[in-house]
Amino acid sequence: MALHFVRSPVVSSARALTARVIGFVLALGLGALVLGIAGFDSLHLGRQIIVKSLGSQFGLEDLGLLYTPLLLTGLAVTVMARMGLWNIGADGQFYLGAFVTTAIGLFIKGPEPFMLVLMFFAGAAGGALWILVPTLAKAYAKVDEIITTLLLNFVALLLVYYVATGPWRDRVSGTTASTGRVPYKMPDFFGSLHWGFVIALAAPILFALALRYTKWGYEVRLSGANPDAAHYAGIPVRRRLITIMLLSGAIAGIAGMLEVAGTVHRLQGGISNNYGYLGVMVAVLARGSALGVIAGAFLMALILNAGIILQTQGLTTSAVLALTGLIMLFTAIADQFAHYRLVRPRAATA
Amino acid sequence: MPASPSPRPIVALRGIGKVFPGVIANADVDFDLLPGEIHALLGENGAGKSTLMNVLTGIYRPDSGAILMDGKEVAFASPVEAIAAGIGMVHQHFKLVRAFTVAENVHLGWKETPRLASKSVLEARTRALSERYGLAVRPEARIDELSAGEQQRVEILRVLARQARVLILDEPTAVLTPAEARVLFKALRAFKDAGNSVIFISHKLDEVMEIADRVTVLRGGRKVLTETTENCTTTKLAQWMVGREMVLGGLREAIVPRSEAGRIVLALDHVSASDDRGRKGLIEVDLPVRAGEILGIAGVAGNGQRELSEVLTGIRRPDSGRILVEGVPLDDPSPDVFLELGVGHIPEDRIKSGIAPSLPISDNAVMRAYGEAPIAHGIFFSPKAADALAKQIADDAAVTIPSLRTPIRNLSGGNQQRLVARREMRIARLAIVAAYPSRGLDVGAISTLLHYLIDLRNQGVAVVLISEELSELFDVTDRIAVMFKGRVMGLYETKDADLERVGLLMGGQTQQTEAA
Repeated sequence: MALHFVRSPVVSSARALTARVIGFVLALGLGALVLGIAGFDSLHLGRQIIVKSLGSQFGLEDLGLLYTPLLLTGLAVTVMARMGLWNIGADGQFYLGAFVTTAIGLFIKGPEPFMLVLMFFAGAAGGALWILVPTLAKAYAKVDEIITTLLLNFVALLLVYYVATGPWRDRVSGTTASTGRVPYKMPDFFGSLHWGFVIALAAPILFALALRYTKWGYEVRLSGANPDAAHYAGIPVRRRLITIMLLSGAIAGIAGMLEVAGTVHRLQGGISNNYGYLGVMVAVLARGSALGVIAGAFLMALILNAGIILQTQGLTTSAVLALTGLIMLFTAIADQFAHYRLVRPRAATA
Repeated sequence: MPASPSPRPIVALRGIGKVFPGVIANADVDFDLLPGEIHALLGENGAGKSTLMNVLTGIYRPDSGAILMDGKEVAFASPVEAIAAGIGMVHQHFKLVRAFTVAENVHLGWKETPRLASKSVLEARTRALSERYGLAVRPEARIDELSAGEQQRVEILRVLARQARVLILDEPTAVLTPAEARVLFKALRAFKDAGNSVIFISHKLDEVMEIADRVTVLRGGRKVLTETTENCTTTKLAQWMVGREMVLGGLREAIVPRSEAGRIVLALDHVSASDDRGRKGLIEVDLPVRAGEILGIAGVAGNGQRELSEVLTGIRRPDSGRILVEGVPLDDPSPDVFLELGVGHIPEDRIKSGIAPSLPISDNAVMRAYGEAPIAHGIFFSPKAADALAKQIADDAAVTIPSLRTPIRNLSGGNQQRLVARREMRIARLAIVAAYPSRGLDVGAISTLLHYLIDLRNQGVAVVLISEELSELFDVTDRIAVMFKGRVMGLYETKDADLERVGLLMGGQTQQTEAA
């Protein structure tokens, strides 16, 4: 009798992790094989990645600067995933956070600590504002949030391009497609790594604690797990949905604020660096766990950093993108495979 | 009627047993289907009729027993194998592709479908089949344009086209108008006269008497008897179906007699409400519920019981009419208001609305108490206090649990139901609404649950018990209301109520037709 697969709905975390490690290794192996055939020394490239990203202060700083926004956008997507919703618009909310931060930084004068606090909250408000329409459409008209949040990304991108090349363009140093320098900056604590990193690292922990140790967190968990049961328990599900979506937007907005005030110091067209979309990948890697975001974002930062290093070794951007995609694909496959085990069916009992 | 005394059965089931976690669906069932007969399978919901047929058609594998076809033992791994052997089933919920035409549905997944068939060829073939079996269908119509009766004919045609000798119909008249039912019966008789056999699953007595040659009655997963319908009356069938012997001991004894009726604590006054599809679910319902009584709601499922239980607990808003608590109308009937008033609710479909299956047992157990001390302190939630309360509820429910952190879906259905019942009893200071609390449970769990409800009643809580099991209602209630098509057809003191009359009202028959 033929073997067949049996799906079990629940997967232990050990099993899930094992499947992922196998998937990751297979993806790397396949990538190395293809690079090898193309004439690259795969082992050498691998060693370069490890040495250059983890073996020096510069490498670690770069890694940290990539890690910071990914933590926040990954958290933004995860926060909404707890309600069973997808925020595909973290990129747009990131842009809006960056936009509002830059506006305040360029046009308002004040003492630096005060200005940083103001920019922080304004960035959060910008992100929340950008998801406000999708939120209301979802809460009151059941409009699919995936479409609305996604489409607003392009609006945000065009808005930023417009101000960066038009009214706010840099007239001092003549940098193209960029605004002038924002004079207020997040303080550094490790080379070029700024305190925004600490904020970004604290955010998933705070959210995890809030989910577990507040009434609001319980209501969100129940509403996300089963909205009908939450309604039955007397929870105002719609209000929780609205706060969660706005919170998600605000977190992505803060990522944009930190990118301007901590890393780039000006607003430019490509400032989001796709962090919003990568946040979706981080959330998938984190499997809906706020603390999982810390690990998922780290892996994602490592992959991004490896991509930059590989480019210096002569690989094209497309090759790097393909490698990233390969890892994601294998992770997704591994997640599914973890559900299945191979079974030899019992002989039919007579 | 079969001519010889014992012709060889087409299908014979021997000692079929099937157990689901916490539920015995079938135990030691024997069943014979003779050539050229319509054989009714009668029983209340949950009596094991559908399970038995799912075993026969290969959807389930039996835990014990054997299936014989033409005297030879068979085991179908799937309905596809069953239909290849000539056994086809038409389910209650049609399995048609709604965006396809009738002709396409009939030919879907069929060996004899021509490889390269144009639309017109398929339609011509379908028309030929339709004429051959006397089932009028429109081959070119899309399924979603059809009425339920027409869809059913397509389903039957699909099965017959595959040369079925045995046709199984699961509650076929539930979706039909009386006229459509007559058409169906005519087609079934023609099918039978050609030497084929029909298994007709139903809980409607009249139609069993009308269409069937023989009837097998199931109760609680076991076979009660098989009898020719000539030797039956609806009264006898009703008695066999519901069974008046005390399966559950000690229930009546536990009920403390009352000298006078309690005050009315919860009442519906001319309440109408829509169902999920916007149709009328409840129509002008007046229902007073008294403290210290168990008010039973009898009726075939889907006659407004879901809407009634949801209106009585704030989950569904009435379109018109008033809900009164202790005589005072509520202006904002929402679930949290009923929670505060002390109205518990054991919902009809616990997986859908009573629990969050993926969350830990602890989170599920505190759903009704998370907002107050000791679990809540201001904005904070104490997982420790939640665990303590969950432990207490589990202990009261006598449910042994591996860990409070395990998702509740890992518990058996019976244990989930006990936890939900205990959780709701904790808050039921004023009233509790229990919708089909014994559905899908074994006898032990049912007994425990009914004793819970009796204890609450004895403490002066108003209990509304919605059930399809008439025996259960007659055992534990003080009064019985009967629902049919969203209306309350009658309200009786249980001691004065008559099983047969309640059964007839459940089928929508009023006094006149009964007398006729």
